[in-house]
Parts: sequence; structure tokens; C-alpha cells
Amino acid sequence: MKHMKKTLAVIIAALVLLLALSACGEIQQEEAVSSSGPEEVEEVTLQVFAAASMTETLDAIIAQYEEENPGVTIVPTYDSSGTLKTQIQEGAECDLFISAAQKQMNQLDAAKTEEQGNEEGLDFVLSDTRVDLLENKVVLAVPDDNPADIQSFQDLATDKLTLLCIGNEDVPVGAYSEEILNALEILDALKAANKITYGTNVKEVTTQVKEGTVDAGIIYATDAYSAELTVVDDSGSDYCSPVIYPAAVMKGTANEEAAKAFLDYLQSAAAMKIFREVGFTAP
Amino acid sequence: MDLYPFWNSLRIAAISCGIVFFLGILCAHYVAKLPRVLKGILDVILTLPLVLPPTVVGYLLLVLLGPNRIFGSWMMSTFHTRMTMVWYSAVFASAIVAFPLMYRTARGAFESFDPNLRDSARTLGLSNTYIFWRIQMPCCRQGILAGTVLAFARALGEYGATSMVAGYTPGRTATISTTVYQLWRTNNEALAFRWVMINIAISFVVLMAVNLLERRERREVRK
Repeated sequence: MKHMKKTLAVIIAALVLLLALSACGEIQQEEAVSSSGPEEVEEVTLQVFAAASMTETLDAIIAQYEEENPGVTIVPTYDSSGTLKTQIQEGAECDLFISAAQKQMNQLDAAKTEEQGNEEGLDFVLSDTRVDLLENKVVLAVPDDNPADIQSFQDLATDKLTLLCIGNEDVPVGAYSEEILNALEILDALKAANKITYGTNVKEVTTQVKEGTVDAGIIYATDAYSAELTVVDDSGSDYCSPVIYPAAVMKGTANEEAAKAFLDYLQSAAAMKIFREVGFTAP
Repeated sequence: MDLYPFWNSLRIAAISCGIVFFLGILCAHYVAKLPRVLKGILDVILTLPLVLPPTVVGYLLLVLLGPNRIFGSWMMSTFHTRMTMVWYSAVFASAIVAFPLMYRTARGAFESFDPNLRDSARTLGLSNTYIFWRIQMPCCRQGILAGTVLAFARALGEYGATSMVAGYTPGRTATISTTVYQLWRTNNEALAFRWVMINIAISFVVLMAVNLLERRERREVRK
């Protein structure tokens, strides 16, 4: 009993210390903010939800933008566009949304009819701010040394392949992948042979290929570039609809002007230069 | 409705539960006898998977088992066996995550075992193996049983580490938990709901069985 009391005391002391330390950190941060002077511009924090495939480029652009615009802090959230769409729908705070396909944006845009994709009658998008920001390409990537010797989309139908990783149908790249495999008429055979494993966003597919846990994966040209993966076939976009990334400011944002300014910046030459470096193009 | 995830989940949970049963008891038995300092350190290491997020366990497993990593590449070149993205990858994940539950409950039971019983058995000339299996184990039955059930339930519900090392390949690595997630993500709520009900039913039956066993035991003791 005595022993237990002692242990309890130690645990409590440790917790108190931890709390005190974290509180110190916060106070210091606050001081740093207030010491930056009263003549500074108003502080704005923008919540940007962006497709996972934009992780590296958008991070670079944000760093550049924050340097040029003191007072603006941009907090990006990267995931599959389908997941982000669900989060926005469930009430997540988001000022700007960049999707990797029109589908997820249409689902949130009241300017679109039910036939155009807004099946649930959602209204989250400031329709007049909506632009087609970028275009990407869908490619077939393989692990280093290409152990299964996959050379093209057509090779996916052969015995060389044991496991292919694609996004699930809710992930834009997964929808594009199914479109491609359907156009080549090999999707059903691959499914029947249980040769497809599903990732929940494009970065997960990329990592599985990078780790060599699968023989090949269907991802964007930009992700293959960022992860330094070998692309064996870049003709994916010939078999599926164009891969357009729409962007729009969200309704109910408290920072409409700041969000619009950042969206304008994303279309500027300075931002496009970064986008182009990894393989994005203007639509 | 394809029942593969059901059988796969049961198979994974049963095998990892079996591994964890013996490994947990073994570790509990030897750790309980160690000197204090060493016991404390080993105890923390063996309990770690209980408090680590499953994603951390999954990551560490991938670093070990991935085809480009030490153990994974060795298995690949020597036995031509993939250690990731196959159904038994999930066994590693669930076994690691479920291990502390078995280990801790078994150790608790062993520590409360009356050492006088062991000593008197020794004076009767019984071997240590006999004492362990025929005297200590039956006396600690309750704790062992509870640990086994907890480990089985935890293994059945493993999602995080499993989805990282085994992925979601329908008909190959799909378990109930990964299937529910994929179905929910792809807006197939009706089917997701059916799998949820199946999972609840399994857990219900397992826990019910334990309660019945315990009650029967109590009755036997009273007799």
C-alpha cells in the first residue's frame, strides 16, 4: 500500500511537471506574437484542404507565400479528396479546398445539379471563386529495379503481376485507375484474381510501391516524381478523363478575402513554377 | 455477400491468440521470477505495444518486414516468401498488439499464486514442469482465461497495424475491420453495416462464453 502511494505520488509529480512545461511553452509563444508590434497587419490563419498529391508542392508554395505575406499563416491538411470532402461535409473548418477531381468539388457545389454530381444537394462552395487550377497525369510506377518486370499497363494483364496497388474508388486516382483498367478491359480479371490491393489515398499507394510491397501502382506523375519512383508507362491519361484539380473558397469562411488572395497566388507565375517542377501543368 | 473477411479475421485472431497464449505465459512465468530492476525494465518493454498507437507498431513492422528491408529481403531471397501484403502479415500485427494483454493478466495471476503450494509440491518430489502445468496453471485458470479472451478480442479488432502491413486486398488480406473501413469510404453503407453487426455478434458470443465459463467454474468451486 505504502509502495503504491509512492508510485502514485511520482506519477502525479511527473504529470504536473509536464503540464507546467507545456504551459511555459505556450506563454513564450504568446509573448513572441505580441512582441511583434502593434503596427503589424492583422493575423489571419487559413485552413487549406488539399489533395494528397499536392503535399510537396503546396508546402513549398505556402512557405514562400508566408514569407512574402507576414501575418498570414496557412495550415494545410492533405488527404484523399474523398476524405476531405467528407470532412468538409461533416463541418470541418476549411477556407480553401483543392480537389484532385471535379467529382468531389461538384458534390459540394450548389451550382451543380444532381445530374452534374451534386447528389446530396450540398452547398459548401463559393461557386464564383471556383477555378480549374492544375492538370496532372496518371502513370504506372514500379519499385526500384522493377522485380516483376512490368513495362506497361498491358503487362498488368499478364502473369508477371501478383499484386497491383490502386486507390479505392472514393480516391480520385483510384477512380482514374479503374477507368484506365476498364478501358483496357482488364479490371474484372484483376479483381477476380484478387490481384488488386486498395490504398486510401495516393500517398499510401506511392509508399506501398516505394517499399516494394506491391509489383506496381497507379499514381500521378507528380507523386512518382516526388518519391523518385520509376515510371514505366505514362500513357494512363490517354485512357481516362482529364485529371483536373479544381479549387474554390468555401462558403462560411471567416477569411474570404485572404482565401481569395491565396487562391490568386496559386495561379500566379511564381506558384506555377513550383507546380511545373514536379510535373503539374495548367489546364 | 463474400464471407472471406469473416474467415480471414477468425483465422488471424485464432492463430495470433494461440501464439500469444504460449508466449505470454512463458514470458509471464520467467519475468515474475526475475530480480526487481530487470523485471521492471522487461515489463515495460513487453507492455509497450499496449500503449503504442497501432500505426507505430505497423510502421516498425514494415521497417522490419518490407521486401527492401533487412528481414523481409532475407525471407524473399531465401524462401521466396513475401512478408507483407499477405494474410499472415496480419498475424504478426495482431499478435504483437494482443501480446501485452495476455502477458499482463497471466503475470498478475502468477504473482498471486501461493508459493506455499509450490513448496509443498516440491517436498512431495514433484518436478517443476509438473508443478507448473498441473498445479500452478489450474490455480491461475481464471487469469489465464481472461487474458486469452482479451487477446483474442484485441486480435480480432486489430485495424491500424494490419492495414499498414497487410493492406486491403479483397479475397486475400481483407479482414472484417479493414472491410468495414473500405466499405464506409466507398459509400457502401448497407454492406458496412452488415459487417459491423457480424463483428458485434462475434464479440458478443465470445464475451458471453467467458461469462458462462466463469459462472460454471464458480459453481464447481462451491461444490
